[in-house]
Amino acid sequence: MDAQEAEMASQAYARYRFYLRQRPIMMAVFSVLAVLLFLGVTVLSRAHQAQRQAIAERWFNRGIADLNAKHFDAAAIDFRAALLYSPDEYSYQLNLAEALIGKGHTGQAFAYLTNLWDREPENGIVNLELARIAAQRGETDNAIRYYHNAVYAVWPSNQEGMRRNARLELIELLLRNHLKAQAQSELIPLAENAGPDPVQQERIADLFLRAEDYEHALGAYNAALKSDRHHAAALAGAGYAAFELGRYQLAQHYLQSAISANPNDPESAERLRTAQLVLHLDPFRRQIPAAERNRIVMEAFAAAGQRLRSCALPTVKASAPASVPSPGDEWARLKPQITEAGLRRNPDLADTAMDLVFRIERETSTVCGTPTGTDLALLLISRIHEGS
Amino acid sequence: MEPQSKAEDMLAENGNAHSASAWIQEHLPRGVWRSVFREDRLFLILSVFIGVFSGLAVVCFRFAIDWSRLYLLGTGAVLTPVRMLLAPTLAGLVIAVLVIHFFPTARGSGVNQTKAALYIFNGNIPIRTAIGKFITSALAIGSGHSLGPEDPSLQIGACIASAVGRKLRLQRDRMRLIAPVGAAAGLAAAFNAPISAVLFVIEEVIGRWTAGILGSVVLSAVSSVVVMRWFLGSESLFRIPAVELKRPTELIAYAALGVVGGLASVVFASGIAWLRPVCKALPRWSQYFQPAAAGLLIGVIAVLGAPQVMGAGYEYIDQAMHGQFTWQFLAILAGLKIVATLLSFVSGTPGGMFAPTLFIGAMLGAAVGGAEHVLFPHLTGSPGTYALVGMGVLFAGFLRAPMTSVFMVLEVSGNYSIIVPVILANTVAYLISRGLQPTAIFDLLTRQDGLELPSMEEQREEDILRVEDAMQPVEGPVLDAEKTLDQAMQALDHLECEHLLVRMTPSGWASITRQQLLKMASEGKGATSLGSLLPILQVPFLHPDHPLETALRYVDRWPLVPVVSRADFRQLEGVVTQRHVLERYREFGEG
Repeated sequence: MDAQEAEMASQAYARYRFYLRQRPIMMAVFSVLAVLLFLGVTVLSRAHQAQRQAIAERWFNRGIADLNAKHFDAAAIDFRAALLYSPDEYSYQLNLAEALIGKGHTGQAFAYLTNLWDREPENGIVNLELARIAAQRGETDNAIRYYHNAVYAVWPSNQEGMRRNARLELIELLLRNHLKAQAQSELIPLAENAGPDPVQQERIADLFLRAEDYEHALGAYNAALKSDRHHAAALAGAGYAAFELGRYQLAQHYLQSAISANPNDPESAERLRTAQLVLHLDPFRRQIPAAERNRIVMEAFAAAGQRLRSCALPTVKASAPASVPSPGDEWARLKPQITEAGLRRNPDLADTAMDLVFRIERETSTVCGTPTGTDLALLLISRIHEGS
Repeated sequence: MEPQSKAEDMLAENGNAHSASAWIQEHLPRGVWRSVFREDRLFLILSVFIGVFSGLAVVCFRFAIDWSRLYLLGTGAVLTPVRMLLAPTLAGLVIAVLVIHFFPTARGSGVNQTKAALYIFNGNIPIRTAIGKFITSALAIGSGHSLGPEDPSLQIGACIASAVGRKLRLQRDRMRLIAPVGAAAGLAAAFNAPISAVLFVIEEVIGRWTAGILGSVVLSAVSSVVVMRWFLGSESLFRIPAVELKRPTELIAYAALGVVGGLASVVFASGIAWLRPVCKALPRWSQYFQPAAAGLLIGVIAVLGAPQVMGAGYEYIDQAMHGQFTWQFLAILAGLKIVATLLSFVSGTPGGMFAPTLFIGAMLGAAVGGAEHVLFPHLTGSPGTYALVGMGVLFAGFLRAPMTSVFMVLEVSGNYSIIVPVILANTVAYLISRGLQPTAIFDLLTRQDGLELPSMEEQREEDILRVEDAMQPVEGPVLDAEKTLDQAMQALDHLECEHLLVRMTPSGWASITRQQLLKMASEGKGATSLGSLLPILQVPFLHPDHPLETALRYVDRWPLVPVVSRADFRQLEGVVTQRHVLERYREFGEG
């Protein structure tokens, strides 16, 4: 055996001895050390966490105070500071978003809210705020989606009330965007779940009115009037709904009561006047004497002639059939016959005259816009008898 | 008596190490012998320990930075001007004293020091370096110096690994590799991104992929991330916005970001390359004041309206990603952060460059995205997407780690759909940066420090010689093993060649000399086939694409080494000889 081999063997043995004796011990030491360090860092971590939590809460409370005082700038700074120490705290982010909305920084608020939405898509407040921002930005589809989420969302308290408010905001949005059919479909469940509160009923009725669902509007106003029969606004609304439904008798009743309750209501007064005119100028209403009817026909015929003179209808197109005379020609042709005697002699002439009156009012309203006074009343009467 | 103590007694009695060793080999079960002596297994277990220790150290480092910030800069989201000016300045003075008198090795980012441990100091990094790095970096980052915690974490991990290796008296080759294992653990914990950490260490520190080291690096990185997440949670460093690429034409916009990022990387790197030697050349007494002066200037930038440049700035990256700044302000922030980081780094303040690089990239990305949106409103990518891509762009352009940059963005975003813009923009930035600044930043720093560490980028792009470069056509006939000796002699009749190759059946090659053939012929073996006459030991063969250094293993022993096709080992493409190999190396060396 040469020296080199002996040296190598010696080294190998030394290493072997170290491995067998020292390494297991070292491994055990490392394991114990790892456990001890882990425990030590756990203690440190808890202290660190507690300190951060305390700082975060301090800033958050300050932010809430600023938010309540409408100091949105300061509130945003406070909530940002709180989030430095507790970045995932939901309520901090939500309040920061609200402070940012208050500041008018909707873009930043939207980013925070979107992040919150990703975490809790069922949260009502987040959905409502997102809906409001989307509505502000003109993103109607997104706004509707978020409002719908808010309507069916989980709310921390007063769940029914918050859902109702969210739905009301949604309806307002739909109405602003002329989506009346959708608005009506949202209003119906809202009305069904609404309590007897007259204020609420009146608000729902107003919305039905704006959505042009007059039947439901009338029902809601009636419900509102149950607790206060002299509520001027509700009476005016009910009158309006009845008027639009063509129930002029009922409209007259409500509108008269509305004006009695609130004499300074020019719209209701105007509507009442029109309703009364409709009731007065309708020659086809039941149980009126023939003389009275003939007088109404002559008055209506004269008003139509006046309307023709003030609103020039376009000349008949060349393509129109020659057998259809113009309203002006027709009116001029009938004029000599529309006398008391003429109408008495030929009762059918009243129908012919009124058909012409209705035709003139309809055609002139398309050319010159909705008329007022007698012409409007005649136009409305024409709608009552349309198709009859 | 236990086997090992018997062996020891034997050694103690007669001092005969060889006989003791022989006794151990003879008496110990073979499996025990192997498992005890195989260091690779031990190395894997150690990697887990290193990962755990590094993870714990990084968690403590994060706490230290946090406490430092709380007490030096205050708890509010809006800093007071007095603190903004005083904290980094006074901390700078303390740091300078600590670095000059107590922890001189804590200077710099830590990446090059880890590389130096691997290539110069056999894996040894004093534990004092970790302590110094921990204290000074925490103080610097917490006080508002524009530096990040990742590179120091990397070095702290490497120090811990080195200490563990020293305690276990690992063999030299293992000791060398243990520092990168710790480095990966430290970086993974700091970044909360194990894949990026592993890639960075492989790409920038070790420079090669081997199964052994990869396993250790991955184990340590995963262990450290698990520990870090245990204490700090698994949340990403920033909230990642929704990312999508709707139209392929938008890739042009990302390519433009790559161009801007590439140029910004060059400006940043050139600034360091120019200013660092200038600062180092200043009188020694000035080193006491350089970090303080840098801190004061950063404080002035903050007071003048950009407090975002202070510290690592991850919270501002998050804000940039969510569109909370205008594109003009983002561009200003990117520029100011370059200045602030330049000041902090060249002043010798310990701290990392990863976080500032990500900050600059994010700001630049969001700024470019915002500007492009103004010019082309139909673009669909959000500022957050551009910020995310921008981070990768600066990583690729400034740190010159193209692979890591791509995976870092993927890992941080958790979104695969961003990969195409990231690859495109990163490649553009990398190419521009490499074209305008040939030396990568880490290589530049080592050369400024008078060290010559292997440049991973240069190694990656080094031309290597292959067997085909030295391959020559076969001069003589190629004999088949089925032929008889007489047939072989006939083939050799009018030829001068000395060495001949024989194609064996069913495969393999052998060689024979003319002298040997003549001798066998004179012995009357003319009718015998060559295959039965030739020695069993066959000639090794090569393929044309083999590195030429592979040929060096054979050419001194075999005068003629066959080069065969990979598709058909019996098809000879050429031969290499020692002379041709050496000639080729000489020509290559002469350029």
